Amino acid sequence: MTQVPLEKKVLSENDRVAALLRARLECAGALSLNFIGSPGSGKTAFLERTLQMLPDATRAAVLTGDLQTEADAKRLARYGYPVRQIVTVGACHLDARMIEKHLEGWNLNDLDFLFVENVGNLVCPTSYDLGEDAKVVVLSVTEGEEKPLKYPGIFRKAELMILTKVDLLPYVPFNLDLAIANALSINPDIEIIQTCSITGTGFGEWLRWLALRVDEKQSSIVVGSGTVQ
Amino acid sequence: MHEMGIASSILEAVQQEVNRYPGHRAARVAVRIGQFAGVDSESLQFCFEAIIKDSPAAPLELAVERTAGDELDLGTLELEEIAA
Repeated sequence: MTQVPLEKKVLSENDRVAALLRARLECAGALSLNFIGSPGSGKTAFLERTLQMLPDATRAAVLTGDLQTEADAKRLARYGYPVRQIVTVGACHLDARMIEKHLEGWNLNDLDFLFVENVGNLVCPTSYDLGEDAKVVVLSVTEGEEKPLKYPGIFRKAELMILTKVDLLPYVPFNLDLAIANALSINPDIEIIQTCSITGTGFGEWLRWLALRVDEKQSSIVVGSGTVQ
Repeated sequence: MHEMGIASSILEAVQQEVNRYPGHRAARVAVRIGQFAGVDSESLQFCFEAIIKDSPAAPLELAVERTAGDELDLGTLELEEIAA
C-alpha cells in the first residue's frame, strides 16, 4: 500500500481559474462583487436600483446566473450597462469557469465594477471562488431572522450583508435587531446596510461603500505598478 | 445540492494522481470537510458511490473527516499495486 498526501483543496481547479480571474481584475482595477442570497431575496431588484443610481460615467457590467431563462438579464439590461445571463441548466451555483467564459469579449480595463449575481441559493455558491473582491450576502426582511444561524457558511465568508425590503418592516414579524445580532454572532466583522430597492432607502450608504472600495482598489494599483499619479 | 460536483472533483483529482503511479490503483481517498463548508458528508458519500459504481475506479473508498472550519480539502490517497 502506497500513501500519497494530496493535501490540496477539493476545488483546486476552480480556485486556479478564480486566481487567474482575480489577477486579471486586479490589473484592470475592476472591483468584482459576488451577490449570494435566497431565491426571492431581492438580488435582481437591488442590482437594478444600483445600476439606476450609479453616478454618470461609472463603468459597470453584470453577470447574472439562473438555472433557466434570460429573464434577469432582460431586467438588468434596461439601464444601459453590459449584462450577460449565465444559464446554468440546473446547476445550483456559478463556478469560476462560467465567469471566465462569459467575460469573453469584454475588456476588463473598461470596467470599474463587475457585479455577479449568483444563483439563488445560500449554500452551494458559498464554496466556489469566482475571483471576486468580496462576497455580498443578500437577506430580505420577509425571510427569518435566524437565517445567519441556519446558513453560517455564507455569513462567515461575506464582507457585507445587504438587508433588503426594509420598507416592509412595519408589516412583517421580522426582528431586525435579532437578525443583525445573529449575523454579527457568526461574523463580527460583517458590515450591514439596510435597503429598500423600491424607495431607494440605504442606497446612499451603499454607493459610498462601492466608491470607497473601488477607490481603494484602483489607488493600490497605481502605487503597485509604480505609475506616477 | 452541489455534492455531485464535489464528488466529481474528488474523483478527477484522484485519477490525475493515480496516473503518476503506473501499476497502481486508488483504494481509499481521505477528505476533510469543515462544518462551514456547506457540504453534507452523507450526501457526498451517496454521490461518490453513485459515480464510482460501474466505473473502472471501483472499488474506491471515500473517508470523510469532519473538521471545525470551512475546509474542503483532499487528504491522503492510498494506492495499491495492481496484481500482475
